Amino acid sequence: MGSVGLTLPWEHRISGAVPVRERRVEPSESRAETERPTADRSLDASVAAACLSGNLQGYEQLYRWQGSRMKNLARNLLSSPTDAEDAVQETFLKIQRNIASFRGQSSFVTWTFRVLVNTCHDLRRARMRRKDYASEDVESLQPANVPRAAVSHPSLRMALERALERLTVHQRDVFLLYEVEGFRHAEIAGMLEISETASKNTLFQAKKNLRALLEPPRSAGAGGRQ
Amino acid sequence: MNIQCEDRERIFRDGSAEEWAALETHAAACPACAEELRGWRQLSDAAAELRDYRESPALWSRIEASLREQAGPAAGRGKLARFFDSWRRGSHAWQFALASALVVVLAVTGGYLYIHRVPQTTNASNKLLKSGALKEVERTEREYMAAIDKLAGDAGPQLNADTPLMASYREKLVVLDSAIAELRAQAGENPSNAHLRYQLLAMYQEKQQTLEDILETKR
Repeated sequence: MGSVGLTLPWEHRISGAVPVRERRVEPSESRAETERPTADRSLDASVAAACLSGNLQGYEQLYRWQGSRMKNLARNLLSSPTDAEDAVQETFLKIQRNIASFRGQSSFVTWTFRVLVNTCHDLRRARMRRKDYASEDVESLQPANVPRAAVSHPSLRMALERALERLTVHQRDVFLLYEVEGFRHAEIAGMLEISETASKNTLFQAKKNLRALLEPPRSAGAGGRQ
Repeated sequence: MNIQCEDRERIFRDGSAEEWAALETHAAACPACAEELRGWRQLSDAAAELRDYRESPALWSRIEASLREQAGPAAGRGKLARFFDSWRRGSHAWQFALASALVVVLAVTGGYLYIHRVPQTTNASNKLLKSGALKEVERTEREYMAAIDKLAGDAGPQLNADTPLMASYREKLVVLDSAIAELRAQAGENPSNAHLRYQLLAMYQEKQQTLEDILETKR
């Protein structure tokens, strides 16, 4: 598993590994969309086979490989580390219960993350029903109160999290999967059961909305044609 | 490649490597596009703030325990499900061939057993309990049942918890109780049948083990 520096071309990005904390190289990704490193594919297949045979070591391998990424995504989707751990645990249980329905039409990791995303949505809906988080008054969030996302800063994460709350569910999912977890549009399309084009369009809309939420109104001259 | 400001959004949406490079060249001379490009990339930089891949030391052991628990009660069903699943996945020709082979094997075995059947005589009497032993067995069984009922009382509060694990245990206990009731009814009709008593004992032991497992989760 290699790391990705700014100088590396886009196609060297390794999607299967946990992304490193560096800036993502902007697209030029059209050539890389259909490619996956062979090592990842073979690990994916061996983990899937182990899980299909009911071997708990397969699940442990999956956890060691993708667990922290799963937890990070769940935490960002649920805004709670505790709920995120519950979601990851529930995802593993669902995988074990439904492993026979995995037909290998997508990669095992893609299938796993699809289960995770759905589990997070279920938990989120259940949480909304319980009104546990009624105090989190999303409506009171005003863009003007959100700090500008200019440089890395302790408040940046919080600002981004609050801005993400204001996106649609699909926009939030796609942004987190693509920009934070480093999945390709092809993989995201498989996870969210949408087309690649829909994934690209959703990401574009998500980023446009996030910019509007995170940046203070610009002067007329700086706005360009956006 | 000649890029205009109008192309910017399309490139942001789905631009190729060449188009991104051309946009950068264009932005060097266009402040509006430079500002948009900078803002767009800052979002990707900011996304890194949402990455927290620290380990949760206890999470895997928690997941592993729940996977084991889930696999436990359903292990037999899982193997059966996998068997029938693999059966369904096979082609129709293979399914037909296997079914035919099974029918032939059953027919041959059945015929052989019918031809070589042993007349049933007095072997069953060996399996019958004498009246003294029967009373002893019934007394021990009553004591065992009382002990299990006490265990069930202790596990009651834990068992009523609204968790998937406890729901699974409740389901298992219902099945066991039903099997016990059925065996006891049969034993009532045929009290000297030692085989039935052994089966009953096995069911009681399973129930006892299940209740102990429930109490163990409490600890």
